[in-house]
Amino acid sequence: MSREDVLDQAQRVRSVMAERAGDLLESLAEHAAIAGWIVHRAGTAENVADVAAAICRNAGIKTALRSTHSVLEQVKIDSSLHSGGVDIRVMERLQAGPGNEVETNRGVLRRAVFSADAGITGGDYAIAETGTLVLHPRRGVSRLLSLAPPRHIAVVERGTVLPSLDELFVLERESMLRGASAASMNLISGPSRTGDIEGTIVTGIHGPLEVHMILFG
Amino acid sequence: MKPQTKEFRRVAAKTMVDPRLQKALEGVYNGFYKGRIAAAEATDRWEEQREQGRAIKEHTINHLDYYLELLADNVEKHGGRVFFAADVDAANKYVIDLALSRSVKTVIKSKSMVSEEMGLNHVFEQNGIESVETDLGEYIIQLAGETPYHLIAPAIHKSRDQVSDLLAAKAGGERKERAEDLTMQARAQLREAFQKADMSVTGVNFAVAESGSIVLVTNEGNGRMATSAPRIHVACMGMEKVVPSVQDLGTMLRILIRSATGQRISSYVTMINGPRAPEEEDGPEEFHLVIVDNGRSKLLADPALREALNCIRCGACMNACPVYRKVGGHSYGWVYPGPIGAIVTPALTGLKQGKDLPYASTLCGACREACPVKIDLPRMLLELRGQVTEGHPDPTQRSSSFAERIVWKAWRFGMSSRGRFDLGARAARAVLKPLSVGGWLRRSPPPVSGWTSSRDFPLPASESFRAKFKRRQSKRAGKK
Repeated sequence: MSREDVLDQAQRVRSVMAERAGDLLESLAEHAAIAGWIVHRAGTAENVADVAAAICRNAGIKTALRSTHSVLEQVKIDSSLHSGGVDIRVMERLQAGPGNEVETNRGVLRRAVFSADAGITGGDYAIAETGTLVLHPRRGVSRLLSLAPPRHIAVVERGTVLPSLDELFVLERESMLRGASAASMNLISGPSRTGDIEGTIVTGIHGPLEVHMILFG
Repeated sequence: MKPQTKEFRRVAAKTMVDPRLQKALEGVYNGFYKGRIAAAEATDRWEEQREQGRAIKEHTINHLDYYLELLADNVEKHGGRVFFAADVDAANKYVIDLALSRSVKTVIKSKSMVSEEMGLNHVFEQNGIESVETDLGEYIIQLAGETPYHLIAPAIHKSRDQVSDLLAAKAGGERKERAEDLTMQARAQLREAFQKADMSVTGVNFAVAESGSIVLVTNEGNGRMATSAPRIHVACMGMEKVVPSVQDLGTMLRILIRSATGQRISSYVTMINGPRAPEEEDGPEEFHLVIVDNGRSKLLADPALREALNCIRCGACMNACPVYRKVGGHSYGWVYPGPIGAIVTPALTGLKQGKDLPYASTLCGACREACPVKIDLPRMLLELRGQVTEGHPDPTQRSSSFAERIVWKAWRFGMSSRGRFDLGARAARAVLKPLSVGGWLRRSPPPVSGWTSSRDFPLPASESFRAKFKRRQSKRAGKK
């Protein structure tokens, strides 16, 4: 497939995301639940922070780290959780010390992320077919944030939902052709789970034992 | 890892009379086999996607040199390092030299079948480096000092009780009972390893040539931990794991995961395009890709067996195989169990000592039917059986005895003429009759005694079909 074909295809994918936004959000809700997400329908942006605060209250979450996804600022999650007694902090590299800042940073971040009760992120995309949240780790979007804490709360906005894996990989290919690929990508579809002891499915072996997806818009 | 393929018969016989293992194997059938069928039925255009998957793999394997070069170039463009290892010794040396030069003390391993071929844990140990398997199943068998029982569920043969003992020994004696508590105990033990590890070694489910990416699929999240926490990430892949394009991944992931566990998708699919970006919050600073041949070139050069390189290691063939489900994973004696193991193990580690493996099949075709990329496994099992007896290009790999070859030569001589066949049939009847009991031959004389060692052989009919036919014809003619 030529470069132009891929760019065209990517354009079409974006129109589908917009035109079928309502259907795709419904389909995501259905398949995310099958994949093991606890799905919350917040309706409007104003309700998202309240839903998140309720999740924290019910799960006994006292400390949370969040990504810099703009959707989290848009729904004003910090003030709501804060007034609910949750110590919520943004996980973004703060130090810019000379020399070994990477190593220092690694230690600080790792301690924070391995001890937090919850990680809160937006989503770069979601996938309806599989109930998947897509994250491209970057500045402000840590790889460990959605993995190390025992609970992950993801906020997904209408219009960011792709029909299937195939459309995601069209967009990934487009990024590649534009030289704009992220260093990595994570597709998250439910909690961490294993069936390695006598086939019994248990969640939370390495990553979160409970994952929440808040849909709005 | 040293192959134990000579032990096939002994281990298989032991497994078949072990009720606990038989129950575990039944679980493989009820869980994975039925799960795959349900997932296939629920997937749009399933057959079309299998065809597409097969076409992608076939094309790639037929142009493997091109795609491996492209992959290597693109990984290096992203700042990764690529090493082509001709055999496991070269692969081990690269990984160990890297670990020693970076003063690595602890390595975490995410599931990698190639690293089992390499025996990498053992090599780390010899060099004083702690190496911890992080897939729970792999961790359990590492603690037990065993090899994987199944591609997807390596410790499926271990009982909860055995797991409890193994984890307790690691935890200073604290013994848990429920699967949930055992899992949390393992979580705590492995968390410690994740936090202190300097380096990770992972496998590769797919490598994408055009983008220089690798893709990891896990349900546990150990693949994500391994590519987030340590400062060095080493990915090991068999050289057949490459696909051309990012856009092949939708189909390949779909058929892999649905065939493996029956899930629509695994909890985590991770795509890695090299080391972390400089401004990222976390992730490895170094990325190394080790591409392992270890005999795969031999498969590639053999048109009759090349198809085995299409395998995407989903485990569906073993779940479907009536023989695997009786003899279990350890009988196959190396890294890969089941029908695909019965092909690649003898082909990669030596046909002579693995001569029993191609016979570990009823040729019923269930594996071919289950295979997401439609590999014709029965055809290759037959091919290997032919090679075992007399067809292998290297005479030292043939296993038939002089006596066996003489018997078959005589057989061919007898079968290729009507007169000789009739004579032989009459002679066989005359010789076998006195040895039979109630129309069945329970024991036969050498050199064919092997035939009756595990089953009875029916005595040839007292009158051949042709003789009977002739007799009835003449009787009729007489009536008219």
